[in-house]
Amino acid sequence: MSHDIEQSLSAGESGPQRTRRILDSMGETLERGEVPIEILNDEDIYQRELTEIFGQAWVYVGHESEVPEPGDYRQRTIGEDPFVFVRDEHGKIRVLFNSCRHRGANICRAEKGNTTHFRCPYHGWTYQNTGDLVGVPQKGAGFDHLEAEEHGLREAPHVDTYNGLVFACIAPEAPSLEEYLGGATWYLDMYFDLIDMEVVGDPQRWVVDADWKTPTENFYGDNYHVPMGHKSAIDVGIGSETATGEEESKLYGIADCDGHAFSIYQIESEKPMFWGHPERVVETFNHDALDDDQYEVARKSGVTLGTIFPNLSFIFLGGRDDPNKDPVGTFCLRQWQPRGPGEMEAWNWILAPTDAPDEYKERVYEVGMSTFSAAGNFEPDDIGIWDGIDEAAGSVFAEQTEATTLFTMGRGENTAATVDDDWAGPGTAYANGGVTDENQLDFYRKWHETMTTEGAE
Amino acid sequence: MQDELERRRTLRLECEEFLYHAAELLDDRRLSDWHDLVTEDIEYRVPIRTTRERSSNTEFSEEAFHMKEDWGTLKVRTERMSSDFAWSEDPPSRTRRQVSNVRVIDYTDDEIELKSNLVIVRSRKAETDPDILSMERHDTFRREEDGYVPDWSEGGGLKLARRTVLLDHTVIPTDSLSIIL
Ligand code: FES
Ligand SMILES: [Fe+2]
Repeated sequence: MSHDIEQSLSAGESGPQRTRRILDSMGETLERGEVPIEILNDEDIYQRELTEIFGQAWVYVGHESEVPEPGDYRQRTIGEDPFVFVRDEHGKIRVLFNSCRHRGANICRAEKGNTTHFRCPYHGWTYQNTGDLVGVPQKGAGFDHLEAEEHGLREAPHVDTYNGLVFACIAPEAPSLEEYLGGATWYLDMYFDLIDMEVVGDPQRWVVDADWKTPTENFYGDNYHVPMGHKSAIDVGIGSETATGEEESKLYGIADCDGHAFSIYQIESEKPMFWGHPERVVETFNHDALDDDQYEVARKSGVTLGTIFPNLSFIFLGGRDDPNKDPVGTFCLRQWQPRGPGEMEAWNWILAPTDAPDEYKERVYEVGMSTFSAAGNFEPDDIGIWDGIDEAAGSVFAEQTEATTLFTMGRGENTAATVDDDWAGPGTAYANGGVTDENQLDFYRKWHETMTTEGAE
Repeated sequence: MQDELERRRTLRLECEEFLYHAAELLDDRRLSDWHDLVTEDIEYRVPIRTTRERSSNTEFSEEAFHMKEDWGTLKVRTERMSSDFAWSEDPPSRTRRQVSNVRVIDYTDDEIELKSNLVIVRSRKAETDPDILSMERHDTFRREEDGYVPDWSEGGGLKLARRTVLLDHTVIPTDSLSIIL
C-alpha cells in the first residue's frame, strides 16, 4: 500500500497512527478554538493518558482529615493504579503501592481502617504502616538471603500536602507541588488557608458513562450550561443566590493560570458573602491568612468552581436542599477517575469548616449531597447530558471527518468577555466569564502539552 | 396463638401490598403520588457503604449518605425529577423494582417495623445491559388516615415514616441516582 493511499484511508489507521495524527495537529486545532472529539473515546489515547498524564502529573490522593490518626489508611487510585494513603506510626503521610513485594497480592484489602501493619494474605509477608518489611514466614529456612530493608513496599516517590490537600506524583522526577500548582495557590488559599476544612465521612463513588475529560472540561468553567442544563433544579427553587438572580453578580473566568482554572462569582455588596457561609461560621475563619486582595475576593464570593490539572475539581456554593431552609456554604471536592476510554468513576468528598458547630457541618453535608453528587439535584442532569458524547467520540464518522468540539465563545469582535486588567490574582481574568471558553481551552492546552512533552513515548 | 398467627399474616400481607403499590408508583413515574405516602416527619436515608474488614462494627457510614431526606427535600426531588428539564430522567430511565423477603420485625397498633429486599433493574436508551441495584430496606410504616389502604383491609391507611436503605454497593453501579430507592 503506497503512503498516499494509507493516508487517505484514515479510518484504517492504527491506534498509534491515529494518536500521532491527532496530537500533531492539535496545536493548530486548539488555536482555532477547537478540540478533536476523538480524544474523548480512544483506546490508544487513553493508554497514553495513563502513562503521560496520570503517570507524570501531581494527582490528588486525599485530604489529611481522612487519615487523622497514626495508622489510619484509605485505599486510593492514581489513574487506575492501586495505592494506600496512610498516616504511618510516626505521623508521616505516605502513599504506598498496594502490591506485595513477593508476588504482587494486595496487602490492603479494606477501603479504610486503622492498622499498625499490613499482612499479605498470600504467604504472610508483613509490612509496617511505614511500608517496611518486618516479617517473612520461614525466613531462616527459605529466605535467609533476602534483605528485608530492600523489600519494603514501593511508594509514590513524591508526596506533598498543600493546606490539607495531599497529592502524589509517581514519576521519578517531578517539580515541587507548589511549583506545579503555580498561580492556583493564590486561589486555593482562599478556600483552604482562610478556612480550616475537613472531609465529612466517606466519599461518594459512582460510575459514569463519560470520559474523565468531559466533566473536567466542564469544571474548568463551563458557565454557559447552567441556565439550560440545571433548569430543573433552579425551577424548584434550590439554585444559589446567583443562579436564581437573587443577587447581582459578576462572573470572572480565570484562564492562563499554570494549567488550572477557576470561575468566581463576585457579588458587590456591603454584606460579606463568603460562599454563603453565615456570620457565625465566618467568625471561625483565619482572617489573617490572606492578603487584602485575596480577602476582598473571598468576601465577595458567591459560587466558585475550578479544576487542578488533571482531574481534581471543586464547587463551593451557598446552596440548599429545600427552598424553605436556610442556605449554607458547601464545598464539594470531586475527582474524575479514569476507568477506560469513555468511562470513569466519580468521587465526591464534601468538606465543612472544621471549627463550625456540628449541626452546621451536618447541614453542609446534606446540602452538598443534595446538589452535587450521584443523587444530587444538579449533577445527575450534567451526567444525563454527557452520556452519548463518548459514542460520538468513538465513531467512525468522527474519525473520517476529524470532528471537533467548539470552544470559540467570546472570540468575536463584540464579545462581552473582556480581560479585566485590574484583577488582583494570577492568570487572566475574563469579566463576563460566562461567555468565554478560554478557561476551558486551558484544560486541553495543558492536556496536549502534557501528552506531547519531550520524553513522552 | 392462632390469633397472633392470623394477625402476623395480615400484617405481612398489608405491608407487602403497600411495598408493591409504592414500587408500582415509582416504576410508573408517579412520583408525587409516591410522595403523598410519606409522613411529614419521614426520615429517609441511604448511607454510604465501604469495604471493611470483617472485624469492623459496620460497613455503613453514620455521617455520609447518598440520600438523607425529609419530607421537604423529598418533595424537591420528586418535583424536580418530574420536570421536563430534568435531563437525567428525560427521556426517563426504565425501572423495574422486585420486592421480596418481607419480614415484619415488630409492631404496635400505630407502627410496623419491617425489612425487605429490593432489586432494581434499570435501563436507558437502547442499552441491553441493564444496571442492577441491590439492597435491603429497613422501614417503619405508620397508620395514618390518608395513607394507603389495600381494598380488602379494614385497618387504617399506611404511610412510610422511616426508611434506611442498605446498599450492596460501595460504588453506585449506575450513572446517577435520579430515582427513589
Ligand atoms: S504475595 Fe505477599 S506474601 Fe507472597
Ligand atoms: Fe453542571
